[in-house]
Amino acid sequence: MGKTLFEKIWESHIVVEKQNEPALIYIDRHLVHEVTSPQAFDGLRMNNRKVRRPDLTIATMDHNVPTSDRSLPILDQTSAVQIKTLENNCRDFGIKLFDINSPNQGIVHVIGPQLGITLPGSTIVCGDSHTSTHGAFGALALGIGTSEVEHVLASQTLWLEKPKTFEIRVEGKRNNPHAVTAKDIILSIIKNIGTAGGTGTVIEYRGEGITDLSMDQRMTICNMSIEGGARAGLIAPDQKTFDYLRNREYTPKNYESLVDSWKVNLKTDSDATFDKTFTLDINDIAPQVSWGTNPGMTCDVDESIPSPDEFSNGDDNQKRGAEKALEYMDLESGTMIEDIAIDRVFIGSCTNARLEDLIEASKIVQGQKVASSVSAMVVPGSQMVKKQAEEMGLDKIFINANFEWREAGCSMCLGMNPDILSPGERCASTSNRNFEGRQGNGGRTHLVSPVMAAAAAINGHFVDVRKLDLN
Amino acid sequence: MKGNIIKYARDNIDTDVIIPGQYLKVHDYAELATHAMEGLDPDFHSKVKEGDFILSGKNFGCGSSREHAPIALSHSGVKAILALSFARIFYRNSVDGAFLLPIEIDQDAYDGISEGDEIDIDVSKNEIKNITKNQTYKMKPFSEIIGKIIAAGGLFKYKPDQD
Repeated sequence: MGKTLFEKIWESHIVVEKQNEPALIYIDRHLVHEVTSPQAFDGLRMNNRKVRRPDLTIATMDHNVPTSDRSLPILDQTSAVQIKTLENNCRDFGIKLFDINSPNQGIVHVIGPQLGITLPGSTIVCGDSHTSTHGAFGALALGIGTSEVEHVLASQTLWLEKPKTFEIRVEGKRNNPHAVTAKDIILSIIKNIGTAGGTGTVIEYRGEGITDLSMDQRMTICNMSIEGGARAGLIAPDQKTFDYLRNREYTPKNYESLVDSWKVNLKTDSDATFDKTFTLDINDIAPQVSWGTNPGMTCDVDESIPSPDEFSNGDDNQKRGAEKALEYMDLESGTMIEDIAIDRVFIGSCTNARLEDLIEASKIVQGQKVASSVSAMVVPGSQMVKKQAEEMGLDKIFINANFEWREAGCSMCLGMNPDILSPGERCASTSNRNFEGRQGNGGRTHLVSPVMAAAAAINGHFVDVRKLDLN
Repeated sequence: MKGNIIKYARDNIDTDVIIPGQYLKVHDYAELATHAMEGLDPDFHSKVKEGDFILSGKNFGCGSSREHAPIALSHSGVKAILALSFARIFYRNSVDGAFLLPIEIDQDAYDGISEGDEIDIDVSKNEIKNITKNQTYKMKPFSEIIGKIIAAGGLFKYKPDQD
């Protein structure tokens, strides 16, 4: 019987595998950031261990770096300590660090691919759940906890339970690909499979709706695999993948011969079977807006907020969850999404802060002004994205419209740095999680695409971007 | 293992409410524990006692990979989480550092156990006894793999069986 792409990558990385034991899997790349690594380095020191492969380990600081003027000192002392700690750890253990002043600094999941560090067929781990992003390149990319970070630092391997396989087919063509984006596809998928629909699986996204997407868009899809509960998301590499990674700063020297072997090996066999399958038809899908406190609580922009009964399908906990979500979000069932007024707009995060995201959003913003009731910011995913955007003049478009144009980092996605919502503030956000308090205590998050966020900034409320001329 | 139940009758308790992002800079575990569950239940820290168990619904621990979540609960005194299901990274983080036991329960146990009930968990028999209500429920056995990591006392103490 044939094998899936996941099985091929898994099998080529087994160090030890015995029945009823975890498999010891070799890790090709380990990405490190300041928040989930300090205790892991402490553990190494306590046990007198070295980093086994510093050459395969790359670090940056992204979660709590300020996105304002970087020539100023970091005011939050605990953040400053955490950033300094990463610098010390990288120096002591010989790890390459893109620090706060590096032109390569940025969100770890944005810089990996941009630098050619993320490669098809490889295993990649990071102490961060959105590591799934790298699966867009056909890499098996897993988010891990700090104990596992320490284990990888010490041994370059991980004990893993073999995940199940989940095929998600995305069929059809979007009528208006500038208005209905990769973000809307992945939010639709999560709305359908649920936030635990992918638990214990590696998803492979397949079909015309996926191969049509650019690499930036594919990363948005794989990024949110974890929001559907999956261990990882994968997309088989194709010509777009190979072209994207060619001639990057860290692209391997024997790249073309690697591409030749990837073309042969990195695909699911036609007779392979998956443990589970789901198909989404995207011919008629609409821009999506989350209304609740998890990414599965999402509806079309031209719908109204469902009642807890409609949402729950008879499940008591789902119903109670929807009631609590509406209370937290200060929303009522039956309210049209387009009637929801917003206070803040955040265009950023490892989900949607790549160059293409900023280009698409800028088309909406060009020549317009942010509504007087709204404060809006763009936080590029990396300093390289920022530079490329500035070379295209995108910064001017945003600044002229009264957006703030910031330095790269995770920023308001998770509220670890000063970029947070105040209690009660409502935000149209291109990030990945609308959990209670995620963007700041009491803050209310609506997950949307970059074009939807930009349109909400200009209008002061959500609007259906399919009505706008985006070509 | 005996303890009393703190029940959160909802699904999808995420790691952002278990330990909000602003505290991920805190390195002192005792201080981290004072903020456990702060995003969901500001009274948690004052009511939790050493040896308590948390009972909740589906997909417990979803979201971020922060190991601070099981650490904060563990250092609050919580010894086990009983839930209808768990998110994978939280589940692994709980056992990797031997912070607490993630125990999958069925609907009978979820419905039968109330806030404050005294529970006795017997992992060797895969049994949960409700001492307060004199009921007994089944727990889902740990997979052989997870059982071995738990028995070893965490990821770094685990050694595979020798042939």
